[in-house]
Amino acid sequence: MAKNIASIFWTFFKIGAFTIGGGYAMIPYIHREVVEKREWISDEDFLDGLAAAQSCPGPIAINISVYVGLHLRGRLGMAAAVLGTVLPSTLIIILVAELFGHYADQPLVRKAFHALKPAVVALIAVPLVQMTRGAKLNLSNFWVPVLAMVLVGFFGVSPIWLILATILFAVAQGLWRRERPE
Amino acid sequence: MTYLSLFWAFFKIGLFSFGGGYAILAMIQQEAVVRYGWLSQGEFADVVAISQMTPGPIAINAATFIGYRQGGIPGSLLCTFGVILPSLVLMLAITLTYLKLRRQPWFKNIFQKLRWLTLGLIGAAMVIIAQGAFTDWFSVLVFALSLAVYWRFRPNPIYLMLGAAVFGIAFG
Repeated sequence: MAKNIASIFWTFFKIGAFTIGGGYAMIPYIHREVVEKREWISDEDFLDGLAAAQSCPGPIAINISVYVGLHLRGRLGMAAAVLGTVLPSTLIIILVAELFGHYADQPLVRKAFHALKPAVVALIAVPLVQMTRGAKLNLSNFWVPVLAMVLVGFFGVSPIWLILATILFAVAQGLWRRERPE
Repeated sequence: MTYLSLFWAFFKIGLFSFGGGYAILAMIQQEAVVRYGWLSQGEFADVVAISQMTPGPIAINAATFIGYRQGGIPGSLLCTFGVILPSLVLMLAITLTYLKLRRQPWFKNIFQKLRWLTLGLIGAAMVIIAQGAFTDWFSVLVFALSLAVYWRFRPNPIYLMLGAAVFGIAFG
């Protein structure tokens, strides 16, 4: 299919409308659509973009949409891809928020959410444990995530301060190493 | 004033969310629950549950939901635009520079350290949602069951959520 603006929008709209489970769940679908099916972008370029999307702040699905859109048709392509990714969620959530406002106090809805909330905790716990395995944690750095979890989760410290502190620390460490090469 | 706060809060959320997905939740809770009081802890957990069952990125879902509750359709659009604006600007810049920068050791070091922090922020999101979710023994039981099922069989999250909802209606 041609890389026209409408087809870029439509491709990302479909991805946005049919992938449940957040941004990370969308990555394989985006890959399949733009690399495998439509061959709009090479596998290598996509992986470069994915690495950039993971490093950049913001929702990862939006970041990769910006990258692919830009790659295909410049700023206009970027706008089409981002709008396509965002629009389905926005429309569906406005509908759900409206309905939830009316039915949140119904006994059946309450019972469902009473069980849904602990299930969400489990949904987060499982990938967290897996990521911990892959993160090369050891006795000297294990305290970093644990401290962050306690400060943010129990004491309400804003993640902003921890992020800024981490960046400052890493930059200072980088400068220190450059001064005294091993 | 509310519109401005909505936009500003979600702009900050977009700007300071590294690691995507669950790591963003801690940031949303900080702004929407702690700072502005738009939601209670329990309602925040509701929003996360809804986001898990609807398509699209969690940050977009949460932004639209909270924006709609606080300021109708204009509020939802402002929040959504606020949360994606940093991505638009930064990804544009990063796409042009990152590919050269990323082999620099000092640059790699920053992201390695941020990855450790991200784990902590995901843990924090879990703790925060647990505070709104664990209200009685039934919720602890549902957590234990979900954990066991998800760990062992790794179903698509939507099925786990639907199963939990049916279980809650039947036995809750």
